[in-house]
Amino acid sequence: MIVDESGPRDNTVPRVRPARPRGTLVRGGSLRARRARTGIALVSPAFALVAVFVLFPLAFAVYISLTDWPLIGPYHFTGGRNYTELIHDPVFLHSVLFTLLYTAIVTGPILVLGYAMAVFVRANWPGSVVFRTVFFLPFIVGLATESFMLLLELQPDSGAIDAVLGKLGLASSSTAWTVHYGLALGAICVFVVWFASGLTMMILMGGMQGVPGELYEAADVDGATWWQKERRITIPMLRRNIALSLIISVIGSFLAFNQFFILTEGGPGTSTEPIVMWIYQEAFVAYHLGYATAGAIALVIVVGIISAAQFYLLRDDADAPRRAGRRR
Amino acid sequence: MNRRTLALLSAAALLSAAAAGCSSSGSSPAAVAASPGSANFGVNATGTVQFWARTVSKTLAQKLVSEFNATHSNLKVKLTLTSINDDTTSLATSIRAGDPPDVVGLNDIDMPTFTRNGSFLNLTKAIALLPYEKYLSPGHIGLATYNGQEYGVPYWADLSVLWYNKQLFSQAGLNPNDPPTTYAQILSDAQAINKLGNGIHGFTFAGDCEGCLGFTVQPGIWASGSYLTSGPIGNQTATISGNQALVQALTLYRDMWTEKLVPDNDRTDDGPTWGQDFVAGKIGIMPGGYGQIENLATPAELATEFADAPLPGADGGYSTFDGGDDFAIPAAAKNPSGAWEFITWVLQTQQQEQYPDLGATPIRTDLLTPSYSAAHPLDAVALKALGHGYAPVGLIYNQAFNVPQGPWFQMFTTAVYDGNMSLALQQGQSGFTQLLQQAAS
Repeated sequence: MIVDESGPRDNTVPRVRPARPRGTLVRGGSLRARRARTGIALVSPAFALVAVFVLFPLAFAVYISLTDWPLIGPYHFTGGRNYTELIHDPVFLHSVLFTLLYTAIVTGPILVLGYAMAVFVRANWPGSVVFRTVFFLPFIVGLATESFMLLLELQPDSGAIDAVLGKLGLASSSTAWTVHYGLALGAICVFVVWFASGLTMMILMGGMQGVPGELYEAADVDGATWWQKERRITIPMLRRNIALSLIISVIGSFLAFNQFFILTEGGPGTSTEPIVMWIYQEAFVAYHLGYATAGAIALVIVVGIISAAQFYLLRDDADAPRRAGRRR
Repeated sequence: MNRRTLALLSAAALLSAAAAGCSSSGSSPAAVAASPGSANFGVNATGTVQFWARTVSKTLAQKLVSEFNATHSNLKVKLTLTSINDDTTSLATSIRAGDPPDVVGLNDIDMPTFTRNGSFLNLTKAIALLPYEKYLSPGHIGLATYNGQEYGVPYWADLSVLWYNKQLFSQAGLNPNDPPTTYAQILSDAQAINKLGNGIHGFTFAGDCEGCLGFTVQPGIWASGSYLTSGPIGNQTATISGNQALVQALTLYRDMWTEKLVPDNDRTDDGPTWGQDFVAGKIGIMPGGYGQIENLATPAELATEFADAPLPGADGGYSTFDGGDDFAIPAAAKNPSGAWEFITWVLQTQQQEQYPDLGATPIRTDLLTPSYSAAHPLDAVALKALGHGYAPVGLIYNQAFNVPQGPWFQMFTTAVYDGNMSLALQQGQSGFTQLLQQAAS
């Protein structure tokens, strides 16, 4: 019998499909759909919590920012007027610039000091645990408590800071730190670097202890110096840790409140008033809740943009080792 | 679900709702029917009264509530303490939610924020029936009044007085029973005490605490019959430029500063340590709160070392800042009659006379009798000043006086520390005017 290969196919004859990669075989991708459903089911509780406690309040805050919401009494929809006033408000703009300045001043020293402390305590030598504890202790005690302690120590004539600096001949024993812009900013920046570098140390130290020792041994064989090993091995391997510590540090600086509220109350005048304190004053002193919320939304957007930019710029290309492997 | 099940569930829901209604505060039919001024308002009320008080009055509130509950079987008061910085927002939130307390002890300076919105019950008729109505603190009543109607009644007073150290007065050759009654005497007494040396200063003030300065400096201005703002709420104007009483007050503090009659660290004293140098016996004269020193000093020190006097004006007279709290009943309170019964019980003489021992001053000037003065000589001074007391009525007090960014502190700093009086008055006039215009718009 001659079989006409080009003739019409008998649709009643079942066809054998070619083998497909495992996992996509069953009924036109239904496994993938099932996996998707399972994934959605697993994340839905978390998403519901985020929706209820983050997204809905955020959306409501956006609505409030479009009104003249007072502490009590009726409110009116004002559209974008709060935002328009915001960009023409010299006090708000000053608080933004001051926050940027403060962030710029403290971020670098926190990273450098934290890195130095991490290098100092990363090895398990006798006493390293004690130093780790001592360096991390300021972060544990908390910013508010330490701000109150510093407030007392910064008092002219009675505080320890003036007493020590006076003995060393570096300052007058009656220096009024908290009521002069430059002195107050300097004192707070030094204080915050001391406070926050312990956290950076912990983040970086964890990364350093995860760097394979063989890399350093190979570098030693090649005759690398200490600095060369730090620059060529440690720092590249800590890219993610450095990114994390920088993001935490920058966001923390943008949200700074306690230290300024306790030490200077934003003064003298509004010279040391960061954004969050401006929001606080507008909301809970002036009772302009709609206007304050507009400032808060602006802050959320700015922090989001800066964080996204940092994530992008400091991203760790996870594919890089594989690509390097293929090149080999 | 069949019909029978549905009916059972419905019945259960109705029973639950009824039970919940019975157990909620203010369930008394009499309480619902009574209104301020009516015969049964505040009489034999039943149920529970939810009372919110600020933590600053914790000792007083707890004692009063405890005694009230011990002596009233059908009406109970449940106390909730609210944080100092959060009390207004908590109250506003509860009012917005339609579930406010039955009575609130609100910082009197915050009363206008609520009274102008109809948030509180109008108590004018009920207050008029009180036998001691005309003796109630005028400053507290002023802050509770809006458009001629009274929405609150005084709860307790936190008054500013002039503290002085009798022993230092004696050592400096001054008469310890003759406290200063003019600015000139304050200055000369401070100069005399300052000469004692050994770390002793003639005067002290919390130089970085704008609220403390508003509390202690303004009464001297009021004693001269002058004020920093005038007019009714919504149509107020600043009266800073050309205000001679203000200039005299700022000049007194400028002299204290330039003549070094105050410790250097006064410049950075933003409140938490205010008064400690006085209690340590290092200061001759200190304007401050009655309760402030009463709480810091020991009974022995109060009996032998320290004394107080009214805060004088430049050339005499005296006044005080009528601080403290007002009672108010939210308009949506569930048990207003019970709340008023509790309030009137607190205002009775027996309860009021306990105030000095609890760090507070009563709010009825008729309590100032010889026996009261003998029992509480230091508080008697504050109570005497109460009748001459005042507190600025308006919507801008916190913005103007209680933040370092406000025009009050800016004006004080420029005048006292920088020595530029004319610029200070300009800053004050423009700053107050701007805030008043914002509040009116």
